[in-house]
Amino acid sequence: MRRAQGLPVAAYLAALMALALLAAFAAALAVVIWLPPKPPDVMRADEVAEHFQGGYDYMLGEGRPISGDAMVWRVEREPPEIERAPQMRLAELRLARALELDADEVLFAAEHIRERSSAVVFAVRDVDELKQELDQALGEIETALGEAEWSTREAEQNLREARAHARAEEAAAAQTVQAARGDARAVEEARDVINEAREREADAREAAHEARAAERLLRAERVRIRAGHAAAHARVDIEVSERGHVSVHRVELPAAPAPPAPPAAPASAVAPAAAAPAAALPPMFAPAPRGVALISGFEIGAQLPDGRWLIMRQGRNWEEMGWIARAALVIAGALAALFLLALLFARRLTRPIRSFAEAVQAVGIDPQSAPVSERGPRELRSAARAVNAMQGRLRALIADRTKTLAAVAHDMRTPLMRLRLAAENVSPEQRDRMAKEIGEVEALVASFIAFARDDPAEEARVSLDLAALLQSIADDRAEAGDAVSYAGPERLIVTAQSLGLKRLFSNLVENALKYGGCARMALRQEEGAAIVEVEDDGPGVPAEQREAVFAPFVRLREGAGGAGLGLPAARSIARAHGGDIVILDAPKGALVRVTLPG
Amino acid sequence: MTDAANPSRVLIVDDDAAIRQGLVEVFERAGFAALSAPDVAGMERVLAAQGVDLIVLDLMMPGEDGLSACKRLSGKGRPPIIMLSALGDDADRIVGLEIGADDYLAKPCNPRELVARARAVLRRGRDAPTPASGDSVRFANFRLDVARRELIDPDGVVIPLSAGEFRLLRAFVERPERVLTREQLLDYAFDSDADVFDRAVDVQVSRLRRKLDRRDGVEIIRTVRGEGYVFAVRPSL
Repeated sequence: MRRAQGLPVAAYLAALMALALLAAFAAALAVVIWLPPKPPDVMRADEVAEHFQGGYDYMLGEGRPISGDAMVWRVEREPPEIERAPQMRLAELRLARALELDADEVLFAAEHIRERSSAVVFAVRDVDELKQELDQALGEIETALGEAEWSTREAEQNLREARAHARAEEAAAAQTVQAARGDARAVEEARDVINEAREREADAREAAHEARAAERLLRAERVRIRAGHAAAHARVDIEVSERGHVSVHRVELPAAPAPPAPPAAPASAVAPAAAAPAAALPPMFAPAPRGVALISGFEIGAQLPDGRWLIMRQGRNWEEMGWIARAALVIAGALAALFLLALLFARRLTRPIRSFAEAVQAVGIDPQSAPVSERGPRELRSAARAVNAMQGRLRALIADRTKTLAAVAHDMRTPLMRLRLAAENVSPEQRDRMAKEIGEVEALVASFIAFARDDPAEEARVSLDLAALLQSIADDRAEAGDAVSYAGPERLIVTAQSLGLKRLFSNLVENALKYGGCARMALRQEEGAAIVEVEDDGPGVPAEQREAVFAPFVRLREGAGGAGLGLPAARSIARAHGGDIVILDAPKGALVRVTLPG
Repeated sequence: MTDAANPSRVLIVDDDAAIRQGLVEVFERAGFAALSAPDVAGMERVLAAQGVDLIVLDLMMPGEDGLSACKRLSGKGRPPIIMLSALGDDADRIVGLEIGADDYLAKPCNPRELVARARAVLRRGRDAPTPASGDSVRFANFRLDVARRELIDPDGVVIPLSAGEFRLLRAFVERPERVLTREQLLDYAFDSDADVFDRAVDVQVSRLRRKLDRRDGVEIIRTVRGEGYVFAVRPSL
């Protein structure tokens, strides 16, 4: 057998695999090429601390935590369950000092802490614009700071005056007390005056305190903006530790991602705390100076004056969510394309398999059907070739059998014909006797040949009027003078082989005539199956022989003629149609029932 | 049909000498002028030499077999052919008729039946305007499969016909749109030696009508009162 052409199935699968990998690669490439880098969620610890400081002040001023600044704020009765990290100790202490709190009243922790970043690649929209914005913000902050300082001084001046005034009032009151001792009313008045003076002093003190707080906040803002400003201008040394790669680069930082300056706080000394820190804190990712850690997943807690704790946690980075969504979209797109390709591919692969199955089925039913086309994967081609070879042998076998049967028929019938012709030359009585004998031999030969060639699969199935078929058999027999009748509907359609069924019922009628002298056919429909009963008036079939008569060469009565092949042939035809033949009890004679599914 | 002055010439082609001789005798006794040939080559020599009215052709012969000879001869101007074959199965008969034989008889047959069929074929050959041999004839959405002796109705359902019904229908189909008397029908469709009466024709016609007139509207076989029947549609091949 020659080597089959075509690709093996394994090659198809490998190609599919390669396609899948290609799609994944393309998706990854698309993500890298088209999507901007994922915004980092790593921040500088000092920036975070400063942000918290702002939030703490806001809490003190407004009595509620900040919202909408990309951080999650909450107030708890208990300190947060945070594990202190030694790296964060310094930042914690600094924060405590800045908040004027004790060290144990502040907690600062982070999941990921990096002491120093070694490489920074970060792009910011427009450096010049950023610088300009920073300069402007700085200028505004300086102005605000000046105003704050001025208002602080004014407040302190007021305080001093209030104190002096209060002292003067107090002295005057004391004089009045001494002067009008016993005069209770005067004493009351003096006390009122003193209290009033004290209240004024307290107010002044508070104003001074608030002014200081505002100043501190503004100063912090300035520090932060300056840091960003510096970073924006800076050329950054990227130092790689000696243990790693000993190389020192001087990299022009495209732009330091210093926070775009928040709109300068309204420099009102009266309510400086109301100025919230940067509304939405952008990622603060910058080359941190030595000693500043880069952190993510952080949480800060600080005790409020009333004993509760203010806690800030790093919230979800929404910009990052958008990035993930876009990346997911790109990957899903690539996978969808892959799915479609794989679907087409699978269809292409299985189409020849399906048509192969159909072709093989056709060969099974009819060996003369068209050969299976040799297409598709290599394995399928070789299978198709094997089937075609088998079909060829089958056809040769059938041809052989047909040829043999034809030869047998010829060799047996030619002498019979000779005899038949010779009989024409003898007396009519002798001729009829000879003709009868010849007829019997011919019937035997015919039944042998019919049985040997009988192949129920060879004939096509058609829609067939079974009633008309039975009627035509009855008519033909009646025309020949036999007592054959048909009873039943005028039309009953079955799907069957017309020659096959004709032979089946002719055999049964022949048997009935041979053993019973007559045949009555009855047709009816039961549960979708056609049922034909052939009845005769003969001696019937003994119950113990009702199966045996379906074996070849079994005859009920010696000398009945025939080869004993009629019933076996009839049964094989009935079974090829999915039906069966059985012999039933009858009051008299034989009753043969044929069932043919509709 | 065969008068003494101008007997029909029948050519018997069979490889078996005894059969050949026997058939020649049978046909001569029946008033035919019988010729014989042992094979297809001999048959062609005879055909080239003289006109022949009918060929009785054996199927299995050394050299070219009867089927292929019949196939080759098929067409206009060839004499009618009766196949005489050792293969007597329905399927063989159908193959023979489909290939173009006018009749098909299995060996061993009654020699007198062969003669009767020969006469029938000659008669048909003379007055049949529409040759209804070969595979099939169509009329009014029905199809008559001549070889299989089956009627296929407009729905494609195969309706088997009895031999009598088939002969009658063929007689009608070959003579469409013409009034046929019962005597004519008896002559065309029934064995001439059988004892049949006009009444039998009516019975067969009514059976045939049952099988044909399932379509409402078209009456295919019409009764002509006092005369006979007419096949009211024109068949096409």
